[in-house]
Amino acid sequence: MVHDPIIELDRVTKQYSGHTAVRDLSLNVQRGAVYGLLGPNGAGKTTTLRMIMNIIVPDRGNIRLFGSGSAGRDLSHMIGYLPEERGLYRKMRVFDVLVFLAETKGVSRRVAKEQASEWIDKLGLGDWSRTAVNDLSKGMQQKVQFIATVLHQPELLILDEPFSGFDPVNTQRMKDVVVELAHRGATVLFSTHIMEQAEKLCDSVCIISRGQTVLDGRVAEIRREHGGRTVTLSVDGGSEALSRLLADRTVVARADQYPQYAELELVEGADPQRLLAAMVQEGVRVRRFEVGEASLHKIFVDLVGVDAATPRAEEAEQDA
Amino acid sequence: MRKIWVVIRREFVEKVRTKWFILSTVLGPVMMAAFIVVPMRMAERDATERSIRILDASTSELGRRIEDLLAGPLPVRAERIGVTVPEMADVADSLNALVGEKVLDGYLIVTDATASEGEAEYRGSNVSSHADMQVLEQVLSEAVLTARLAREGVDRAVVAWAQIPVRMRAVSIRGGEVTESSGQAAFVLAYVVWMLLYLTILVYGVQVMGAVVEEKTSRVIEVLVSSLRPFQLLAGKVVGVGAVGLFQMSIWGVSAWWLYRNRSLVLELFGMPEAGGSGGLAFPEVSLDTLVIVLAYFLLGYFLYAAMFAAVAATSNSEAEARQAQLPVVMLLIVPTLLMLGILQEPDGAMAVTLSLIPFCAPIAMPVRWAAVSVPAAEVAASLAVLAVTLVLVVWVAARIYRVGILMHGKRPGLADLMRWIRA
Repeated sequence: MVHDPIIELDRVTKQYSGHTAVRDLSLNVQRGAVYGLLGPNGAGKTTTLRMIMNIIVPDRGNIRLFGSGSAGRDLSHMIGYLPEERGLYRKMRVFDVLVFLAETKGVSRRVAKEQASEWIDKLGLGDWSRTAVNDLSKGMQQKVQFIATVLHQPELLILDEPFSGFDPVNTQRMKDVVVELAHRGATVLFSTHIMEQAEKLCDSVCIISRGQTVLDGRVAEIRREHGGRTVTLSVDGGSEALSRLLADRTVVARADQYPQYAELELVEGADPQRLLAAMVQEGVRVRRFEVGEASLHKIFVDLVGVDAATPRAEEAEQDA
Repeated sequence: MRKIWVVIRREFVEKVRTKWFILSTVLGPVMMAAFIVVPMRMAERDATERSIRILDASTSELGRRIEDLLAGPLPVRAERIGVTVPEMADVADSLNALVGEKVLDGYLIVTDATASEGEAEYRGSNVSSHADMQVLEQVLSEAVLTARLAREGVDRAVVAWAQIPVRMRAVSIRGGEVTESSGQAAFVLAYVVWMLLYLTILVYGVQVMGAVVEEKTSRVIEVLVSSLRPFQLLAGKVVGVGAVGLFQMSIWGVSAWWLYRNRSLVLELFGMPEAGGSGGLAFPEVSLDTLVIVLAYFLLGYFLYAAMFAAVAATSNSEAEARQAQLPVVMLLIVPTLLMLGILQEPDGAMAVTLSLIPFCAPIAMPVRWAAVSVPAAEVAASLAVLAVTLVLVVWVAARIYRVGILMHGKRPGLADLMRWIRA
């Protein structure tokens, strides 16, 4: 990848009265990347994105966009921002609200109208373009908001929990749109607390917890580093022997064990093949034995612990 | 600048499309038409004759004299019934019944005490009519005066001559010149200016508040501030709503002017002949300078209050909360309104002058004074200067509160929080 940073955060800190939402956070999003900002609710994702958009100002640290010192607002014609808290003018018609929002980003009225019609048709809202936003279903409102985010053909998409509120069909549709935009060269930074989403979409991720970076890098590399030592196991009927084998801490570092199913993490240097052999020898009926890469979720939980992976109520509130 | 324009246009177009705007714009001229027609109708109703009885228990000619006087070109027709004091109660009872059946409007009781002590009594269904009572009182005192003078032996002709009433016309002087408009017209104009300014500043100020709260509660604000500076948003909103106000007022202005020009047509439509000024409303002449003053103070006053309403809205989480929080701002506007009668009675008095120099009252007080009397240019300049300086300060503070407030949800900020926001 060419070194062409679109977003650079340098030791950014933001404090609210009483607690630190983001602490010494550094990020580097390269041009063309699909970058996931992951973390549980209240980790500081929204605060980070708002700081990038210059809606709130960091207490310390530097933020650079497109290699310049300009604030997100001055570059709004190049950025599509989808806030976590969705909202549109309720009484305005779908078409009018889209044209207006595009105009606030510096698009000319004529182009805004063309683009609005095009997107409305593309996402199947053609029959609703003259309807007041208020009269649309929640899902359709979400779509309208999504169009408003991408209408001005931004080079950078900043999406805060972009797929929340969509049903599975529309979630897939929106994912397709994001992927398509990324293929056309847009840089995407999006936040999510659902690791599986990030796993499928992102090529790089930054996992944060309680305002601090836990892990940062390309998904493939992270997996290679943290993966290869996990084993997913299905058996027919548990047995004493199996429990004994899994309790052997010289081979198995951690076991997430259920009666007929287990997720294992082996100690460094342990050979999964020998574990399998031992199980067969002990008469465990193995139905499935899969050596795999760890899911991001697993990596995340392993790194920060279950405690940190669950949100803390007061932080979630501040974050909203 | 282009972005502010985009915000202005949205605000204007969306507001003008609302039912509220269409309704109030249509109802405005209807109200104005009613303003012309209703007083005329009232005058017409006044012209229908009252029918009363004079219950005369006096031993002198007094009752007959009153009957004669009322036979003149007055809207009250009277018939005398001679009674003795003992009969009085019974006759009064039967008359009460007649008044109850609306056959009669009422009856006047005259006794010997009327001439000697000046005591009389009127009972009727029209006692709240100021005009009717004035007529009766006038006739009564004329009759009593005549009776007393006659008793002293003064010649009847001399009495009649002495009673010719005086008519004084009040004409206002403006800028050292006698104008055509009467004192009553100046009063009407001042009254209209007051109503217009109070209502428009309040109504459109509250509209700004509603617009800000709407953006906040619908959370669209987050998208907006990612591409607009809060100040661009605030300025666009205030100017946009103000433009709606001016647009509506010019529609009203033009229709008022048209109605005034074609008032005979309107009156005909309602089946009334054009009353030759008497009984109708005295139509004021609106000069260009008055128009300019009203417009200038409307704009300054509207901006002043709109900024405050916007700040209030920015600190509120809901429409209901904003309505509660607006009270201090509305109070500022109500103060000059409560003192308005004082200003109208003495437009050059100490209170009127003081109020027109207090920036929060000036937008209403000064134009009202201007409409009523001629105000020295120096006073207008001082008032405008104080208002302009305050406006700049208020807008600055309001913009700072707005900037922080629009993104805050949850607990309403206290005074200490506000001070921190302003200083930040």
